[in-house]
Amino acid sequence: MHVKLPVATLAAATLMASSAMPVVADKASGTLNVAFTKELENVDSYFNSAREGVVLQRAIWDGLIYRDPETNEYIGNLATSWEWIDDTTLEFKLREGVTFHNGEAFNADDVVFTVDFVAKEENGVKTQRNVNWMESAEKIDDYTVRIHLKDKFPAAIEFLSGPVSIYPNEYYAEVGPSGMGLKPVGTGPYKVSEVVPGQHFVLEANENYYDSPKGQPEIAKIDIRTIPDVNTQMAELFSGSLDLIWQVPADQANKLAEMGQFTVANESTMRVGYVQMDAAGRSGDNPFTNKLVRQAVNHAINRQELVDALLQGKSKVVYTPCFPSQFGCVQDVTEYEYDPEKAKALLAEAGYPDGFTVDFYAYRDRQYAEAITSYLNAVGIQTNFNMLQYSALRELNMKGEVPIAFQTWGSYSINDASAMVSQFFKHGSLDNAQDDQVLEWLNVADSSTDPDERIEYYTKALQRISEEAFWAPMFTYNTNYVFKDEVAYTPTPDEVLRFVDMSWK
Amino acid sequence: MTDATDPLSAELQGPSPRQMLKSRAFSHKGLMFGVIVVGLLVLVALLAPLLAPHDPYAQSLMKRMVPPVFMGGTWEHPLGTDHLGRDYLSRLLYGARVSLLIGTVAALISGVIGTAMGVAAGYFGGKVDAVVTFLINVRLAMPVVLVALAVVAILGGSLTVVICVLGLLLWDRFAVVMRASTLQISRRDYVAAAQVIGASTPRILLTEIMPNVFNNLIVIVTLEMAHAILLEAALSFLGLGVQPPTPSWGLMVSEGKNMMLFEPWLVLIPGAVLFVLVLAINLMGDGLRDVTAPEGRS
Repeated sequence: MHVKLPVATLAAATLMASSAMPVVADKASGTLNVAFTKELENVDSYFNSAREGVVLQRAIWDGLIYRDPETNEYIGNLATSWEWIDDTTLEFKLREGVTFHNGEAFNADDVVFTVDFVAKEENGVKTQRNVNWMESAEKIDDYTVRIHLKDKFPAAIEFLSGPVSIYPNEYYAEVGPSGMGLKPVGTGPYKVSEVVPGQHFVLEANENYYDSPKGQPEIAKIDIRTIPDVNTQMAELFSGSLDLIWQVPADQANKLAEMGQFTVANESTMRVGYVQMDAAGRSGDNPFTNKLVRQAVNHAINRQELVDALLQGKSKVVYTPCFPSQFGCVQDVTEYEYDPEKAKALLAEAGYPDGFTVDFYAYRDRQYAEAITSYLNAVGIQTNFNMLQYSALRELNMKGEVPIAFQTWGSYSINDASAMVSQFFKHGSLDNAQDDQVLEWLNVADSSTDPDERIEYYTKALQRISEEAFWAPMFTYNTNYVFKDEVAYTPTPDEVLRFVDMSWK
Repeated sequence: MTDATDPLSAELQGPSPRQMLKSRAFSHKGLMFGVIVVGLLVLVALLAPLLAPHDPYAQSLMKRMVPPVFMGGTWEHPLGTDHLGRDYLSRLLYGARVSLLIGTVAALISGVIGTAMGVAAGYFGGKVDAVVTFLINVRLAMPVVLVALAVVAILGGSLTVVICVLGLLLWDRFAVVMRASTLQISRRDYVAAAQVIGASTPRILLTEIMPNVFNNLIVIVTLEMAHAILLEAALSFLGLGVQPPTPSWGLMVSEGKNMMLFEPWLVLIPGAVLFVLVLAINLMGDGLRDVTAPEGRS
């Protein structure tokens, strides 16, 4: 009996899943079928750190401010205007007449509750950096609110237009993050009608959506299913049970484009791929504590070939530990050209004429990681290849046990250099350089309210990082969106799938 | 002396057992197929550096996924190139080394462990038998793939780890069969006779028991070799076996998987050679059983 039970449940679940699958998935049915590759741990956007979570967050909730993805201009969203009272206080006038999906009216109490909740470290928001710059919020009147910052934080507006979305205070107080994850309620263009963890999410257009800069939703219903395997996703796209897939690898996207039945749109993303090295010697005495070895690694990798052959699309070579469009991400740094002979010479000079063997770690894009190790092997750095899950590698990295790794960082689509360089070079548990000079400059750059001063100090920090070759930044990512010809959509360069911008042709 | 050349006595004597074995072996099609294919693959593995047209590790990102000759490619890469532009034929040849090495060494390790346990249990009986039977039951209760996955995940995948894990996991069939065979043989009169004339236990085990259980042992060795090769491929496919850039057939299948829909040969070629090798080893094992134990043939 105990053995049979799960089988029966599984069979029932399969039946339910197949009956829930739409027979016709197209314009006629009004339902857009989308695939996610990863499963979300929690739909509550403060309690997941996945790209898929950002996509849902932008559809379900709104922030106080909106950044136009094309012009990068900040426009009021739930707030109509804002001003700096002093260096650490922001005052917002809120939009009136907005209601949450459950009918709750939006006002200053919601902002105060949300900010106070997420800013408290013990509430365990997954990505602390998104919220830990806020101290608290203060209600002035029903539609005026002030946010107090812990310290000067010039990127505040960018963060408020990105990861900080406003939750309904009464509902959130009652259900908490887990309840919010199962039955999300926001003010956004789409409301959630169904959440079956690991299986699918159903979004429906919010007919009462206020006059937001995001625009009005046009597609009535969106069914998002979790399908981890790219081949399965493509097969379903062929058979018509999916209308849109994204994050399609370049090779497959090329083949799909050749077929001529689908629109393949390529857009760059803020994700930067880099090789991290243990310059501080946290994993014990290792060759990467030597600057010459780190420079050799930088010279050993053929970035242009990686971009041309593997990443393709709109990817670009980078030498900075940040994405070029980010504020402060100055490109005037040391550029290490591909020169394997020079790499060998540097290794010899560092005392490794015959190279050495080291544990190499990676967590995604095995193909890229293998290509990188192959470049390293070619100059004499032999690698024991270890492919781990993201969380496992992150944990190992926090303990300082990773000598060299292929890593990537997407900056949560925040268009400010602090979202990347300050994340990794300010002596945190993920900082493998532990450089005091860089820390000092970044502290100035991160907290100054004078844009010129910020640029000046980011330049200093970035130049030192590349001169010391703490990392080997390599390339920016791109992503391919593949959808049926009857879907109209223009992707934005921030890797956020915006359902509200989609429509039927 | 004259007897041997006398046609009449030769006819009366008939072919010697060895000659009979030989003629049975040569007329057994499955055995011949298996021996030839395995022989060829062993040869290929040994001569890989001479046969391979390219360095199996040489990456050339500008020439990725070139199709094989029979699908419109060129003879520069007869079986095409993989996702990093490495020559597929060369990787396949070097991959044969990995598969055969793992198969042979894992079968040897488990063979030594299993045979020692099985023969001891069968010959001594009593408490030794009880302990060995208990160990066999414990081992049979463990799902091999799951345990292998767990151990490799903890220790990290490498050639040595995979060989050791498989070697330490696949001894159960050796132990079971050797125990049963030894039990049977040790009751024979010639074993009793050896004991009566005062032969030592090691001597009895080595000269009376072992030669008579050897046929069974060979059959199990081939079966377990095939088993180990498949398990290595499975582990490598899951990313827990042999680590890149070492070429392994299972790893090649795994690397080609993402492009399966558009470039099926990336998966088909290593899959096919893996299939042929395992089939050949199994046919060889079956053939050896048929030839050495004709009474067991139906």
